[in-house]
Amino acid sequence: MPSFTPTRRTLLKTGTAAAAFATVGPAFLRQAAAQDVDLAPYKSAQIDWQQVSGETITVAVIPASYFENLITLAPQFKALTGIDVRFEKIPPAQIRQKSVIDLTSKTGTYATHAADPMYYALYAANKWVEPLDTYLADKSLTDPAWFKLDDIIPAWRSANGIDGKLYGMPYDGEVTIQVYRKDLYDAKGLKPADTLEAYMSNAAALNTPNDRVWGAALRGVAGAGQNMYIYPSIFREFGGDWMKGGKLTVNGPEAEAALAWYVDIMKKYAPTAAANWNWPDIADAFSQGTVASYIDAHSSASVINNPEKSKIIGKVAYARWPKGPSGKRTTSIWNWGFPINSALPEKKRKATWLFIQWAASAETQARTAHKFAGPTKRSGVNRTSVWKDPDYIKLMNGFGENFVAATMGALQEDTDVDWRPRVPQWPAIGDTMATAIQSALSGQATIKAALDDAQRRIEPMMRG
Amino acid sequence: MTAKRLRVFALLAISTIFLLAWAFPIIWSVLNSLKTDSDVLAYPPKLVFTPTLEAYRDVLFGSGSILPNLLSSVIISVGTTIVTMLMAVPAAYALARLRFRGKRFAGFYVLATQMLPPVGIIIPYFLVLRNIGWIDTYQGIILIYLSFSLPFAIWLLVSYFEDIPFEMEEAAYLDGASRLKTLWRIIIPQVRGGIAVTIVFVFLNAWNEFLFAVVLSGNTVRPVTVAMFNFVSVEQTLWAKLAAVSVLAMLPVVVLGVVAQKHIVKGLTVGAVKGGGRR
Repeated sequence: MPSFTPTRRTLLKTGTAAAAFATVGPAFLRQAAAQDVDLAPYKSAQIDWQQVSGETITVAVIPASYFENLITLAPQFKALTGIDVRFEKIPPAQIRQKSVIDLTSKTGTYATHAADPMYYALYAANKWVEPLDTYLADKSLTDPAWFKLDDIIPAWRSANGIDGKLYGMPYDGEVTIQVYRKDLYDAKGLKPADTLEAYMSNAAALNTPNDRVWGAALRGVAGAGQNMYIYPSIFREFGGDWMKGGKLTVNGPEAEAALAWYVDIMKKYAPTAAANWNWPDIADAFSQGTVASYIDAHSSASVINNPEKSKIIGKVAYARWPKGPSGKRTTSIWNWGFPINSALPEKKRKATWLFIQWAASAETQARTAHKFAGPTKRSGVNRTSVWKDPDYIKLMNGFGENFVAATMGALQEDTDVDWRPRVPQWPAIGDTMATAIQSALSGQATIKAALDDAQRRIEPMMRG
Repeated sequence: MTAKRLRVFALLAISTIFLLAWAFPIIWSVLNSLKTDSDVLAYPPKLVFTPTLEAYRDVLFGSGSILPNLLSSVIISVGTTIVTMLMAVPAAYALARLRFRGKRFAGFYVLATQMLPPVGIIIPYFLVLRNIGWIDTYQGIILIYLSFSLPFAIWLLVSYFEDIPFEMEEAAYLDGASRLKTLWRIIIPQVRGGIAVTIVFVFLNAWNEFLFAVVLSGNTVRPVTVAMFNFVSVEQTLWAKLAAVSVLAMLPVVVLGVVAQKHIVKGLTVGAVKGGGRR
């Protein structure tokens, strides 16, 4: 298979050459790197990659290894298309704010950005981003037989679609799964939970705070992407439905039962501090051996398997979400996708699409994952075919028993597009719900009062 | 006598408790910046450990070096301070001494930008800078910082200028000095302390600013307050590195604080700086 693996010698050679021609250094390096790369897999697509050569686009991403790997490959994209890409790294909390400012003001600063799937309803309602269907259907821009849209994980595509139209191309994603300490479970003869009830009793069986081991931990800190990232799964599993009679409803008996379960497990079997934890804190605690199980993003596997920090390598196994009383499992549908900014002139929109197509293609996904030369390999590739590649499977199963099966099972069967309420008002609603959940977790309000209060606050938002 | 001693002792105890509470985050940062990632997570927290400068080496010379960001912060803060002072001193003098039409209005207007919450004016600022092509430039960020540092500096300085007896100025005029010469030779030396305090506050506000910086900066100009955030990624929080950057970012502030302590204390007691500025 052709792949980008610069040998030590070519690297040394370009290095010396660049030093010798210091003034033309950067340009020279880029060219040298480009020549070494095999672009044939891309050139087999029946499109003219060079059609808008000379354009420059700015792409906003978050600081994360999966985007770092893509940035490393950007010279290949330049060689293929003649398009310059400027990357700007913005922390997750600010990337939403900055991109919304850019989109509302129609300044076209970011041709595309790593977008939160929950924001597409807002983007689409305001026509801030382009429906991608037009680009996918244009034969001069996309070779469907080469790009194979269907290969991209359907759950993530539907998460990024509104009314059947795709607005953001998934690049990297995650699903929430059970992560547990196999050694502790085995010692007590426990199995990974199949129901939420069993998850609770497992947590009870393993909860021994005197030995500094707690039964379970879930994200507790308030935030649309924190406690409101875990709670929606529980809510859906208890049979909750965000839209009742066309009206966004966050209270009611299912919601109360779901929140009661969440509060219960956190109060009884999680470390007290977990009420303020986000997932990196949970993963840190788990890696130190103080938590027996957690339910969170599958991508956290790389942190709990980091040899520099973790004390539990080789003792971890994975399973899908336990089923709720409704009989359903509901995982997250999170992914970072790339939309096209509508404020761009036509040529730049084309350049942006070529970039998106390149980044989401099977070849680039593989080159940024198991074929990547650097130390970090991606665990959130967007294509079913890559997830079936033996090399990739081997790499991923290094994270522990059942990792690929649990992740793929969740991705294919446990997904639910209506996991969180997909409405343009989401940013405000997400925050309101997060505050309500926190007040219940911290005991400031009863479960019913917290949910009823949230409902009261949300109603006027939906009218506006 | 014993009652007095007891009181002194109680006061000392209380102040020690407060001091420890306030110093804790700083002590925590310094300790963690000297640990490895596995020591940061160790339980019970290690007070005795082998210190390492690894985190500092990584954040200074590693792939995500913050040196360019520290440089950005220095340029922005020093630039803001110089321009602010060049404009604030004459403006404050005029407001304190001269009689002109619309003086009250001008004094009030200076405060206008201070009356809006910063979040409310970010978008207009972004649009203005975007239209003149100054997003992600030093002049752009300094211009925006002037909008809050200048009113703050003017109002701080006015009170110092007003404290100087008018007779001193009159004496200079009688000796034949012009207004400008009087300002330069007589007035400014008198308000040295006030100017020093203002410089410190303006510099600190600019150095610590985050909200505007995160929106108006980009790849070229990115102060350390914004860059620091990148150590809290979606994947994990790099505690040791984050702590090391915090300590590095704190250093200039601490040095400035120690050097200017005398003036700051005096400045606070003047009573004109209630709240110590907005940010």
